[in-house]
Amino acid sequence: MTDFDALLSTLGRHEVAFLLIGGAAAIAHGSARLTKDLDIVYDRAPANLDRLVAALAAHKPYPRGAPPGLPFLWDRPTLERGLNFTLVTALGDVDLLGEIPGGGNYQDLLPDSIELRIFEVRCRCLSLRQLIRAKRATGRPKDLEALAELEAIADESSAAPYPLTNS
Amino acid sequence: MEPAPPSGYDPMVEAYKKDIDRTLIRENLKLSVEDRFRNAMALARFAEELRRAGREARERERKRKP
Repeated sequence: MTDFDALLSTLGRHEVAFLLIGGAAAIAHGSARLTKDLDIVYDRAPANLDRLVAALAAHKPYPRGAPPGLPFLWDRPTLERGLNFTLVTALGDVDLLGEIPGGGNYQDLLPDSIELRIFEVRCRCLSLRQLIRAKRATGRPKDLEALAELEAIADESSAAPYPLTNS
Repeated sequence: MEPAPPSGYDPMVEAYKKDIDRTLIRENLKLSVEDRFRNAMALARFAEELRRAGREARERERKRKP
């Protein structure tokens, strides 16, 4: 099981610049659906890659589904050579995305994000509107139900004065 | 002539929306974001425990069969 608390705390402590997306972002907005991993879009600035490496290094990141024993090095050059990484860590599954369809990269998404204060850290999360847009852009049949729930959350949020964040 | 559907309208999504349990959403929206995550983690732990119990029961059943 993914330890969202510990993962978000370690990313926050290391001051990694990232945006919460996917199922975890949906939970932040009020989704009742289960999610197995933490999906984030991370800033690919070199200093941030160093912070990301430092944040996860102690938690043994490794490509998810890959056979054991591969010469996988968790360092900045590895991150620079790739873009999206689906990892298993000691704290659970983490998807690190350099960009997402229908949204772009960290810098593109940042203006349409909200700040969350959660588990003693501040982090940013895609706005509900941007999350819906991103889900639509993926166009995967398996996302239809999740998309329907996000749209229902948008309906409910506009109909009642519920806070979207806890800040 | 019928008016055009709103931008972003998807009949497939609309069909799924009819079955969304809005009471769950309303309850979640009353919580803080942190409590939404705590509930999700508790639910994930419960799901994992159910899977474990299911595996155990199937294994017992398999051993009992001649």
